[in-house]
Amino acid sequence: MRSDTVLEVSDLAVGYLRHDGSTNQVVSGVSFRLERGAILGLAGESGCGKSTSALAAIGYRPLGSRIIGGRSLLGDLDLLALPSSKLRDIWGSRIAYVAQSAALALNPALTVGHQLAQPLAIHLGLRGAKSRARQLELLEAMGLPDPPRALRRYPFQFSGGQQQRIALALALSCKPDVLVLDEPTTGLDVTTQARITELLRAIVRELGVGCLYVSHDLSLLGTLADRLAVMYAGEIVESGPALSVATNQRHPYTQALLAAVPSIRRPRVLVGIPGRPPVSVVHDSCAYVPRCPYAQPACVEAHPELRDPGDGHLARCVRLEEVERQPSPGHELARAHRKPDVLLSVHDVHCAYGRNEVVKGVSLDVRRAERVGIVGESGSGKSTLLRAIAGLHRPSAGSICLRGAELAPVAVKRPRSVRREIQLVFQNPDSSLNPRHTIFDIVVRPIRLFRDDVPRAGERAVVQELLDSVKLPTGLLYRYPAELSGGQRQRVALARAFAAQPTVLLCDEVTSALDVSVQATILELIAELSEQTETAVIWVSHDLAVVRTIADRALVMREGEVCEEGTTDELFAAAKHAYTQQLLAAIPELQPPAAVAEL
Amino acid sequence: MTTASEAVALQLEAVDDEGRPPSARRAVLASWEGRIGLVLGLLVVLVIAFGRFFTPYPPNEPNVGPPTSLPSGSHLLGTDDLSRDILSRVLVGGTVIIIVPLIAVSLAWLIGGTLGMLAAYRGGRTDALITRVYDLLMSLPPLLIVLVAIAALGTSSVVLVLTIMFVYLPRMGRLVRGATQGVITSEYVAAAQARGERTATILFREILPNIMAPTTADFALRITYAVIFVATLNFLGLGVQPPRADWGVMVAQGRGYITLNPWATLAPAAMIALLSIALNLIADALTQHVTRGRQEIVQL
Repeated sequence: MRSDTVLEVSDLAVGYLRHDGSTNQVVSGVSFRLERGAILGLAGESGCGKSTSALAAIGYRPLGSRIIGGRSLLGDLDLLALPSSKLRDIWGSRIAYVAQSAALALNPALTVGHQLAQPLAIHLGLRGAKSRARQLELLEAMGLPDPPRALRRYPFQFSGGQQQRIALALALSCKPDVLVLDEPTTGLDVTTQARITELLRAIVRELGVGCLYVSHDLSLLGTLADRLAVMYAGEIVESGPALSVATNQRHPYTQALLAAVPSIRRPRVLVGIPGRPPVSVVHDSCAYVPRCPYAQPACVEAHPELRDPGDGHLARCVRLEEVERQPSPGHELARAHRKPDVLLSVHDVHCAYGRNEVVKGVSLDVRRAERVGIVGESGSGKSTLLRAIAGLHRPSAGSICLRGAELAPVAVKRPRSVRREIQLVFQNPDSSLNPRHTIFDIVVRPIRLFRDDVPRAGERAVVQELLDSVKLPTGLLYRYPAELSGGQRQRVALARAFAAQPTVLLCDEVTSALDVSVQATILELIAELSEQTETAVIWVSHDLAVVRTIADRALVMREGEVCEEGTTDELFAAAKHAYTQQLLAAIPELQPPAAVAEL
Repeated sequence: MTTASEAVALQLEAVDDEGRPPSARRAVLASWEGRIGLVLGLLVVLVIAFGRFFTPYPPNEPNVGPPTSLPSGSHLLGTDDLSRDILSRVLVGGTVIIIVPLIAVSLAWLIGGTLGMLAAYRGGRTDALITRVYDLLMSLPPLLIVLVAIAALGTSSVVLVLTIMFVYLPRMGRLVRGATQGVITSEYVAAAQARGERTATILFREILPNIMAPTTADFALRITYAVIFVATLNFLGLGVQPPRADWGVMVAQGRGYITLNPWATLAPAAMIALLSIALNLIADALTQHVTRGRQEIVQL
């Protein structure tokens, strides 16, 4: 073992107990090493076993899980062989963990000072003035403004980014050797994410902790981590120096995953991964075969091993040399054919919640079959604007017109034809699909309300046709939303919107709750359907790269105002407003070395 | 251990059928709670509906045997202090105790629940008005309402139904209001609003199915309470008047000579208990039916 290795995990295997007593193996043969002052990125889609591996590596066993095999050495201690009572002394002092949601990880009933004092007293025996000095030092290191005051405040009095800094301060309070972060910046704005990752990188170097950073975001990990491991079906399929993995993928899965990430530098080019990952570890063939474009007979005959062609960049693929030379897949999305006539026109709209004005005079014209993006961070008023267009939020001033006719402020007061023409798709299909209605009931509703051309007897055929058009498998008609995956549910929501044959589709963060590969397929679908049906799309998102991919024109919103607007090509190539530039700079963007030189 | 292709095949298999989802009826029949509940409930209902045709003696006829005798060949559950046949009285004594609570609680549920949903959905003044009325009604002790109503209007089944309805209406309405508040922030409600659905459609089509779990359980529980409440009223002599046979009245009167013939008290008490247990078991099965789902994800 090298001297700077702080945690060495080898051959980790984890399973979950099924109801019948058998074990569903979800992690197999995972090995990695955390070194002082370095960040290891663990990437993969949801359900690939990355969080399970990270938690198992520090000896944490959630209810129902079993560690089947492997070792995890912290110095001379094998964490997997220790009882929970011993582990409790190590957790918090030598190993720290930061969960995804700081808001849930911090106790809302205790002050920040109180929470910081606990680990200091328990693990280091610090009390009184010494403890307070350390607390102030920690908050200062995390860049929180006015530390003495912050100690007296409660977690909910801080913003999401500040809460995550406090969680980080808590994790680092006892100077741990190992720091495990599970999606710590997911759900935060790009600029906040950029500040936190910057801070993290500095701290890891400075304190010399070994850091494991779990994330689904390959481009973030590619820029942040020193080494990168990609997981699929419970196994590491590729690992190596971060830059090498990010620019020179040797496993078809990593390649596909990167191709699915929308990029502001590859406008409109994107490709989703068909199918879904297996639910348990595959032992006798390559797990990726059913989705792999490179599959050969050899791939199903034996389970491939991680192979190193000689430069420390490993991949679990029999054809890794060929894969590496292939260009990254991707094709251009269906382009919107915008027509000259203005369809929807928003003029000087103001919206408020009580006294708090969140939209301060926004004007916007949408032409027929055009795709417009609205970008902004949380609280910028972009969603409220969309709700006002949909007739769900009464604007305090301004007008919204469809083909020149002014619309009533609430949907019920609008004529049926208007309600048919403007359809809304929400961020979270868990919430936008009624869990007690079958897929048929959900999709048939707008048909019954708005489509006089469909007779009662023909409904089933029309619904099935719509489900086919959003590429859902057959046989889901009488299923409930809970029985579908997240991506499938969002497709149902889309089918419901298109059932009304709208002319304007309002999309509110439609893909932000989905995995990148699923997001890519949904983006492809929306581009295709809106092009076929000549539907205009207003796409609201905090993700600039997604807007860049789907929209022709974009507005940047900040604090209720539009600060910049233009075609996406112009906007992203030469942003004029300082805020847009700041947003663009905050995006972690992977780029091959050649591209770096170009810029 | 599964291979990749097997895993894919396994996942595809799960969506092959296109059958309708299990109905509430079938769900109740599928669980053991539901089955036992239905069997017990059916038993009690059969006794109430057809018991009157099988009475060995006229139920209100005194002096059909020795007074307060223990069970014997001619009187299977013995006799009471007026020498009436207990079995005959048990067979006819269940009418009021099931019909009154059933109608009263159903009315309370319909009216209170609808107003509760409306209060939560509309908010503002509607909410304030309905909630204050509920609070007012809840501040009155249940027995007091009944006593005043009976003193003013006399004892009849209609008075009993209405007063019990007023006792349970605000309590059920409050629960429905609370459950509705948890649901109205969901985006499917916003989606319905954007489609321009009428308030009634939103309440009954979108919201109601999602609050069925707590309200069904509450409904069954309230019926149980109401059965006991009616039994209490009858026991206190405020409901059904002697000599008419009623389980509640029988429990009340039987306790005077419980040492001489415990069956005079136990038999009607057991019937009340059986009814309560049956209703609770069915409620459990229904609750499980409406809260199922989350686990079985179709993998594709």
